[in-house]
Amino acid sequence: MTEKYEAVIIGGGVNGLGTAYHLGKKGFTDVLVLDKSYLGYGASGRNGGGIRQQWTSEDNIKLARESRKMFERLDDELEEDLEFYQGGYLVLSFHEEEAAEFKENVKLQNKLGVDSKFLSPEEAKEIVPELDISDVVAATFNQSDGTIYPFKVIHGYADRVREIGIDIKEHTEVTDIVTQGDEIKKVKTSEGNIKTDTVINAAGGWSSKVAEMAGAEIPNVPVRHEIMVTEPYKRFLDPMVISFEHGIYFSQSEHGNIVGGIGNPDEEPGLNQKGSLWFLKNFSDTLLDFIPRFSGVHMIRQWAGFYDTTPDAQPILGSVPEIERFYQVNGFSGHGFMVSPMVDKVTAELILGEQPSMDIERLRVERFEDMDLEEEGGVVG
Amino acid sequence: MSERRIFEHPILDFDRGYEFYFDFEGKKIKAYEGETIASALYADGLRKFTESKKLERPRGFFCAIGKCSSCLMSVDGRPNIRTCVTLAEEGMEVERHGPKAEFPQTDVGRGGERKKEEIEIAVIGGGPAGLMASIVAARNGSEVHLFDEGDDLGGQLVKQTHQFFGSHQEDAGTRGIDIGKELLEEARDVGVEIHNGSKVLGYYPEKKITIESDGRLEIYDSQGIVYAGGAVENYLSFENNDLPGVYGAGGVQTLMNEEGIVPGEKVLMIGSGNVGLIVGYQLLQAGVNVVEIIEALPEIGGYQVHASKIRRAGVPIRASHTIKKAIGDEKVEGAVVQKIDENWNPVKGTEREVECDVICLAVGLSPDTGFLRQADCEMDYVPELGGFVPLRTEDMMTTQRGIYVAGDAAGIEEATVAALEGKIAGAAIYEELHEETEDTRRSKEEAKEGLDKMRKGPYGEVPKQGVKTCTVDEEVCG
Ligand SMILES: Cc1cc2nc3c(=O)[nH]c(=O)nc-3n(C[C@H](O)[C@H](O)[C@H](O)COP(=O)(O)OP(=O)(O)OC[C@H]3O[C@@H](n4cnc5c(N)ncnc54)[C@H](O)[C@@H]3O)c2cc1C
Ligand SMILES: Cc1cc2nc3c(=O)[nH]c(=O)nc-3n(C[C@H](O)[C@H](O)[C@H](O)COP(=O)(O)OP(=O)(O)OC[C@H]3O[C@@H](n4cnc5c(N)ncnc54)[C@H](O)[C@@H]3O)c2cc1C
Ligand code: FES
Repeated sequence: MTEKYEAVIIGGGVNGLGTAYHLGKKGFTDVLVLDKSYLGYGASGRNGGGIRQQWTSEDNIKLARESRKMFERLDDELEEDLEFYQGGYLVLSFHEEEAAEFKENVKLQNKLGVDSKFLSPEEAKEIVPELDISDVVAATFNQSDGTIYPFKVIHGYADRVREIGIDIKEHTEVTDIVTQGDEIKKVKTSEGNIKTDTVINAAGGWSSKVAEMAGAEIPNVPVRHEIMVTEPYKRFLDPMVISFEHGIYFSQSEHGNIVGGIGNPDEEPGLNQKGSLWFLKNFSDTLLDFIPRFSGVHMIRQWAGFYDTTPDAQPILGSVPEIERFYQVNGFSGHGFMVSPMVDKVTAELILGEQPSMDIERLRVERFEDMDLEEEGGVVG
Repeated sequence: MSERRIFEHPILDFDRGYEFYFDFEGKKIKAYEGETIASALYADGLRKFTESKKLERPRGFFCAIGKCSSCLMSVDGRPNIRTCVTLAEEGMEVERHGPKAEFPQTDVGRGGERKKEEIEIAVIGGGPAGLMASIVAARNGSEVHLFDEGDDLGGQLVKQTHQFFGSHQEDAGTRGIDIGKELLEEARDVGVEIHNGSKVLGYYPEKKITIESDGRLEIYDSQGIVYAGGAVENYLSFENNDLPGVYGAGGVQTLMNEEGIVPGEKVLMIGSGNVGLIVGYQLLQAGVNVVEIIEALPEIGGYQVHASKIRRAGVPIRASHTIKKAIGDEKVEGAVVQKIDENWNPVKGTEREVECDVICLAVGLSPDTGFLRQADCEMDYVPELGGFVPLRTEDMMTTQRGIYVAGDAAGIEEATVAALEGKIAGAAIYEELHEETEDTRRSKEEAKEGLDKMRKGPYGEVPKQGVKTCTVDEEVCG
């Protein structure tokens, strides 16, 4: 490759491609997106497609709210049916204490313009009649939440990005980022070197490895999370159903399949992307506790991906202190799809030196040294 | 043709049991004891079983072994039942539900404790390779569990009514079905525990496998595995290739030789390798009209003996021909074939319509290696062996220590080779878990000599080269 670009984006997931899209929209097209595998090989091609605004921290609520609005327009922008289905998110609680927190969350969400509601178990059952509510104490629900089909978003972005004139190269792994002082000089890849002074680290579960290549430090650790899909049925389930206590989430896709996962609290960090027996057993057993009639349904596939986790479960955005123009778009801790539209827009603005549409000061990597962390408590799976 | 069941056959004996009826969308359907729902419906003339999930294209009887989900229907209120592997029962209520069923209306229960067992050796696949591996390991003293998804063991052998080709002195001239039966008997004699109707779903570290049996999940924790799952059929792309009535040769064989039902009246066979020729001949034996056999290569792929039998029966075999499309809306009503030149480009003006209600594809096999990939066995693309195959040692161990491979899963060859590889794998896995014995040493030696003999001559040279490229030293195994 002869190659020289004004910016190189590492990672062909939703955030790498989304950032490229927003750069391109602003006429900045001398950009190369690289992925070591195929587009969507990372978490972006392995997730539950959940779009939720019911969060507990202000930053996340705002990011999610603005992103939801952008997702509502994305079909038209990308000229593609992205299967965004706003059947809501039904969040179940099995404890009084948690239910009390839910009330507070709803207040904060409402204050920030998210229309969530606090529900009784019976009201929850009205939304999902198949649900066993014998142990449910309370629930919250927000109608404008929903699910989207991740592959369509990724490929919708990719098609658009290529049309704009940005290059995408798959099966090209970044192996080193060469710096001089605090400046980036070039990126080394499995297919040759590329000169650039701007690099965007959108490498998902591999982000801390990529940061290391440039001599920067970010606290992210990849943790495996597993997920499965069943055979399809006619629509019977409108919302995504989740429980923080059980770590479970499940929804029905536009194709009719149930897509769902459960988190393993004992999962060790590491780059393991294999499906486990633990998941197979625990997901099915828990799902049947929620909806007994799932007993007659066949699971057809299980797989795994990474949550790129940070100590406060919030993403890392903006450039790093050690190196100029080394932008981070990572650390999404299991909810990087739903916030991607706003995050990617802001990242593009930062790269171009524009005023960001949202204040992201509290999401910079420096927060781990000099700020009190506000931990996001609403992670599921 | 109103009756599609075969009652008289020159070789097979279809002993039909008790006759009864079940209900299909308000109509009474005749079935015989031991028949699957799909077979009975097919025999009654039904062609469209369901619709594809996304484009809602018609789907009919296809693989006949529970692998393709083209036959999903609702049975007694339970949706998405594979009717090709579900036996018909008197009074059953069967209904089509199209691409998507209603969510189940009842809770069928969890079925109690999940079965979980620790075992010594798991052999997956009960064809000649798996049977042989089981026999050798068990006769040396190992506790061997043999899993096969089918009801009858024997693998491809079960469907082979012809006298076998092959230079192995004992087997040539014996019919495939009989070889299978003998091996099965021997396996029983040496104490192999046989699990039929047990489909292996997945591999989990460390050497755990999950099985679906009677609709339930079972987990086996093993010390060593021999994978002998055989091959999958290749498909061909052409317009309308998904219409009910387009089959793989395997589906046609299952329907005809196991279920005793003819696939249709007029068959267009695509492919003139041994499989195409043999299945073509079996169709003739079952009284079906084979209209012609077409072949893309400039000459016939299979053995002359088989081709001559076909020709004597008056069936034309046309080389340098391919299929352009299938005709029909809900099922195959014909096909368009055309000539191709030496570069595989269609020759203009040679298109011709063929009248047929079945298109049978016999265009080769590929090793079935999904399980081995899950187990992280290293693979290599070896066209001489039919596609991606696992790297293996001379002792048939994959790059994962304690996981062995044998038969078509290691590379497409033939039944004798499969059995010999199974013999090596069975002896080697015993040695890996215990120690060398007089029998394991001799078994390996004899089998390796046997393989050398098989891989000689004009037909043997190709696989021989293939095996060379994917054989590795034991050091590379984990
Ligand atoms: C099971 C599961 C369920 C989830 N459910 C949801 C959900 O419902 N809603 C939601 O919002 N989020 C969910 N998430 C999280 C979400 O999927 C991720 O946060 C998001 O997809 C991250 O996107 P990304 O583009 O930042 O990273 P990724 O999609 O992980 O992309 C990173 C890419 O970088 C590439 N790469 C890595 N290293 C290199 C290198 N050295 N050179 C070149 N390329 C490299 C990788 O190949 C990969 O394609 C889930 C995650 C998982 C695992
Ligand atoms: C039409 C035809 C004619 C042939 N004629 C001859 C001949 O004349 N001479 C000759 O030498 N060879 C012949 N062969 C080839 C020969 O049949 C095969 O090479 C041989 O059967 C391969 O043996 P195997 O044990 O590797 O696999 P198979 O015989 O294919 O057995 C594999 C077994 O594994 C089981 N299985 C697969 N996946 C799973 C799973 N997930 N869980 C549980 N069980 C599983 C299958 O049900 C099957 O029983 C013919 C093949 C065909 C198709
Ligand atoms: S699964 Fe029944 S025909 Fe294939």
